[in-house]
Amino acid sequence: MTQEPRSTEPNGDRPTRIGVMSFAHTHASGYVRLLAAMPGIELRAADPDHGERPSGESGGASLAAELGVDYVDTYDELLAWRPDAVVVCSENTKHRDDVLRAAAAGAHVLCEKPLATTSEDAEAMVRACEDAGVTLMVAFPVRFSPAFRALKERYDNGLLGNVYGISGTNNGKIPGERSWFTDPELAGGGALTDHVVHIADMLDALFGGTPATAVYAQANGFFGSDARVETGGLVSITYANGVSATIDCSWSRPPSYPVWGGLTLHAVTDSGLVDVNPFAQRVDGFSEAAANALWLGYGANADEAMLAEFLSAIREGRRPQPDGEVGCRTVRIVEAAYRSVSTGGVAEPSRDSARA
Amino acid sequence: MGNYTVGLVGAGGIANSHLPAWLALGVDVVVFSIDGAAPALVRRHGGGRVVDSYAELLAASDAVDICTPTFTHRDLVVEAADAGKDIVCEKPLALSEADTAQMIEACERAGVRLYPAHVVRFFPEYVAMHRAVADGALGRLAVQRFLRAGAAPAAPWFSQKELSGGLVMDQMIHDLDFARWNAGEVTRVYATESPSLREDGAPEPVTAQVVLTHESGALSYVNGVWSRNAVAFQTRFEVTGDGGLLQHDSLANPPLAFNGTADEVSGFQPSTPFGESPYLTELREFYHAFLGGPTPRVDARDGLAAVAIAAAALRSIETAAPVTMDVQR
Repeated sequence: MTQEPRSTEPNGDRPTRIGVMSFAHTHASGYVRLLAAMPGIELRAADPDHGERPSGESGGASLAAELGVDYVDTYDELLAWRPDAVVVCSENTKHRDDVLRAAAAGAHVLCEKPLATTSEDAEAMVRACEDAGVTLMVAFPVRFSPAFRALKERYDNGLLGNVYGISGTNNGKIPGERSWFTDPELAGGGALTDHVVHIADMLDALFGGTPATAVYAQANGFFGSDARVETGGLVSITYANGVSATIDCSWSRPPSYPVWGGLTLHAVTDSGLVDVNPFAQRVDGFSEAAANALWLGYGANADEAMLAEFLSAIREGRRPQPDGEVGCRTVRIVEAAYRSVSTGGVAEPSRDSARA
Repeated sequence: MGNYTVGLVGAGGIANSHLPAWLALGVDVVVFSIDGAAPALVRRHGGGRVVDSYAELLAASDAVDICTPTFTHRDLVVEAADAGKDIVCEKPLALSEADTAQMIEACERAGVRLYPAHVVRFFPEYVAMHRAVADGALGRLAVQRFLRAGAAPAAPWFSQKELSGGLVMDQMIHDLDFARWNAGEVTRVYATESPSLREDGAPEPVTAQVVLTHESGALSYVNGVWSRNAVAFQTRFEVTGDGGLLQHDSLANPPLAFNGTADEVSGFQPSTPFGESPYLTELREFYHAFLGGPTPRVDARDGLAAVAIAAAALRSIETAAPVTMDVQR
């Protein structure tokens, strides 16, 4: 039985307190800027592991000062401040401990993707949040993009008929701003870990949580010769509704590519072929100073829509999507992909051991 | 000694691309088709002479061009080889590796040349990309993707897997061949395909997804679509390596586009934008080889390898498991 998360007490005009746990993920700065601009928010951050990261990587008190956000040195101090909610942006393999700690302190949680690097961790996080009566949402912004929402609305209204197959791409540069992304201990893996879950989340949203039944994956490490994790990969997923989806999750954009990368879906439906490109809206140009193309994206900010949904859900005491269960299903797909890479065969995603 | 004569067998879809190319090369063409479509074909293209039997065609030809449905290729090629003719054969060479091997053996025995019409190797956008890959512009190839999408072909034999091999063998073999041309021999194949028929027997759109692992460690994704909708034919590729990437979308960057022009003008859409027909480029290369010129960019061994990859994909679809391939040298 799933417990509805408690609402943050509507306490007159008291602002909603949001704690940011870690600046390890590069998305943290973006979340802080967006949250700081929203009314009724009190923000505070802690980045206690900053000292363990290579010198030269931004973080800690100095990044907090740059972002104009209050800073404390430890998670204990942050949680003693009694935040209504936290945004967990630590290294992937630290998500479990950090989320359990926040839940124990009674804070709702928005956790950076991937939710975890093993299904065991992901399931433990879901249970801990349920037991504590707090919300767990996973930071999958692309499902909030207007392009994907319009696709889903058409699909839900039957305008596309059946979907027969999907090809997804989530290609980017090798994350260079933070070295932990290519450290297997901290990241849990490379391109498969980083870039399969966004599209897996969109397909989870499209198909209403239909689970994957079979996963085949192949990987290589030709991009970035010194990387200790896989940097190229293809993952074929078969869902319980019979639809097959193949995802190119490669970090295939060269270091000097004009933007971080992109994400696309191509679907074969009864109503023809559909392309979804949430990052397509841009002005193209060229900079002589940069000796590179200029791409000026002007599409809607999906991060903002995602944060707004998290905030309104915790204020209204309802369960936001994508929730921890979505996070678990996407983690199980990635876990099966690694099993497939190591065995060479097709792998079946695990089921929730505690619920099977 | 008369003019060089090509015997064109079949008068369906692809013959309409091959006949004008042969005529442009200045050869004489005799045409035989069992479906009675040959007279209309030669009228439409203003050249070629219709003959009444395959034997008559062989007797009149220096080389033959097999443009018939796939399930007829093996016997027609073996007969032409036995008659000592050089051969162009539409892709796929045959429906199985065994049949293809038998055709190659017959041609080797007879000392004739056999070239499979893998025409994508002659499309200018693919040629530009492959040259850059071969010159090392992308460094070490890592991951490549290919899409080929169009309306399902109308002729009924295409939709019967035992006659055409279906989407994977008939259409996607173009990109399976190209993936191998770029990234080398294939060692593992995994594929999925949507069902082609509804429970009530009505046809559905078909799409298949194939993941290839190359001997080099490079990975390829090939996606094919036979849509039931009036979709514009579309191809895409993205080829990436540790030194860069190349992309193409056949519907992007049109060299001529109309917006708001009168209907009869705006309906004009060049299918091969302002360049030489890739079919002409292809058949010229084969023709010159027949005359003793250089070896073409694609030969019967490539055709066999492409059939083997497609057959492995079909086995993978059937068994829902990856198929390991032996690399033949």
